[in-house]
Amino acid sequence: MSTNERLFNPAHAFEHPVTCWVTVGLVIALAISPLIIRFLAATGRVSDAHRQELWIRWRSWLIMTPLLIGPILLGAAWTILGVGILSLLCYREYSRATGLFREKVISLTIVLGIILITLSTFDNWYRLFMALTPLTIVMILTVALFADRPKGYIQRTALGVLGFVLFGHGLGHLGHLANDDNYRPLILMVLVSAEMNDIFAYLAGKTFGRIPLCPHTSPKKTVAGSLGGLILTTALVMFLGQYVFEGTVLAHWYHLLTLGIVISVVGQLGDLMFSSIKRDLGIKDFDVTIPGHGGLLDRFDSIVPIAAVVFHYVNYFVGVGSDEPVRIWSTFT
Amino acid sequence: MDDWNYKPAGDLGLPHEEAFKSLKRESGLFSTALHWLWWSFVRTYLLIWHRLKVEGRENLPKNPPFVLVANHSSHLDALVLAAPLDSRLRDQIFPIAAGDVFFTNPAISAFAALMLNALPMWRKQCGPHALEALKRRLIDEPCCYILFPEGQRSRTGEMLPFKAGLGMMLAGTDVPIVPCYLDGCFEALRPETKWPLRRPITIHIGKPLRFDTVPNKRAGWEQIAVDLQAAVKALGPAGKAESRPSGAPMLNAPMKSLHD
Repeated sequence: MSTNERLFNPAHAFEHPVTCWVTVGLVIALAISPLIIRFLAATGRVSDAHRQELWIRWRSWLIMTPLLIGPILLGAAWTILGVGILSLLCYREYSRATGLFREKVISLTIVLGIILITLSTFDNWYRLFMALTPLTIVMILTVALFADRPKGYIQRTALGVLGFVLFGHGLGHLGHLANDDNYRPLILMVLVSAEMNDIFAYLAGKTFGRIPLCPHTSPKKTVAGSLGGLILTTALVMFLGQYVFEGTVLAHWYHLLTLGIVISVVGQLGDLMFSSIKRDLGIKDFDVTIPGHGGLLDRFDSIVPIAAVVFHYVNYFVGVGSDEPVRIWSTFT
Repeated sequence: MDDWNYKPAGDLGLPHEEAFKSLKRESGLFSTALHWLWWSFVRTYLLIWHRLKVEGRENLPKNPPFVLVANHSSHLDALVLAAPLDSRLRDQIFPIAAGDVFFTNPAISAFAALMLNALPMWRKQCGPHALEALKRRLIDEPCCYILFPEGQRSRTGEMLPFKAGLGMMLAGTDVPIVPCYLDGCFEALRPETKWPLRRPITIHIGKPLRFDTVPNKRAGWEQIAVDLQAAVKALGPAGKAESRPSGAPMLNAPMKSLHD
């Protein structure tokens, strides 16, 4: 596949079996969910209020799924753009929740940093992508000086650095995965396993959960839920991974096992990280962007650390986009 | 190091339509950019099309909080009043707009919130809570309000009596209230016309008044309304004609007695 085809051509969208399975699986899941909700309601297993909640959540997934899958199927350029927009929206929620949005100059610097991260990804310029984090941090610390207001300087800049590192650099890795020739199944596997990790942990916790995992951070999580999520997600990653990484060293069972455990554990930790942020701020949800789910960050919290960890795991052993031309647009010959 | 002194946005967790109407709405980067664009456009438009003149600019306080009050006879009024203010204050200027006109239709409400940065005043059911919320924000943030105490646009160009509700918000506070007289807005955009005509507009800005010693009860509120109306009127053509022979600043006379 040429670079232009990877970036813009949806003709190859369904070449890989994992892409087909995930897409078909999601369509089926969305189609049969109403039947399951009706069945649960008819047999009296859920209360009226809970049933309403499930309908709202289903409707939100009905809109979210095409928004997530669509760009991935269309081409790498759209995926990178989509991740860039997601990063900006996540930063918006974070800054409004923490109050950092009142520091307009710091916020503007972070937004520019996220835009540059997106452009460097689009260019497959990995060195710039990596350089942008220290450079943006220096920039945040610099622009915060101009107010000549040392009181609260550490807090302002530290909040800014955390915001940029989480949503610009961390989430940016998800976009950078799109520079791999085989990006569709890889990103779909990351997204599906991260979301299924939540669902598996929820179901396992509902069925077996008794001992709370960390009652102060997230009172509803249980040890059984966490372990259930770990086992089922690892199995899912091992199953999908053997096709995604076919023909590479990562297709070995021990790599798949490690990757599965890493995705599940890091995903659950990501969930707890953002729960801690919310508890610290004294808010329940980051926003009301997605009806029934809360803010984008309440839904995609686990993706933020997973993206970086999976990227570097794959990049270390086989290389992400190593066969692709680098600096696609910024080299002039 | 300071204690943690950051708090979530006042309108966090509200759906967009509710956030637009919220008195606790705060500007993010996006709306700040829109305000900047909008007010730059308005300022240029007023200078070119209406040859806007500002008299008494030195009377404007340098920093918030302060309140601008003026006579109200056209939809241009709030734009004209905000135009001479320092551009670094753009996020802190809130025109107080009629809720039933500007905040019932979602599109107009988005415009009022994102471009004008307006806050709603619900004329029919504006209770003490809303006024108290506005007062708190004015002082704590601090910010600048643009207010039309007549409570509606004059259909004839003649000033209507000022409402006492404004007094409820301002009595007993140290916030400077700047009386302004808008000259030419009525001729430029009459209630029956759709598009503004090319008429010159002048703002006359008076010396700020303070009502920190006025008691926060009905008599005080009414007194504030009367004093402000006199101050605005004195800046207009009628007031200037009256005060010219004596030369005495008539707007300060009733104020003195209140402060003593």
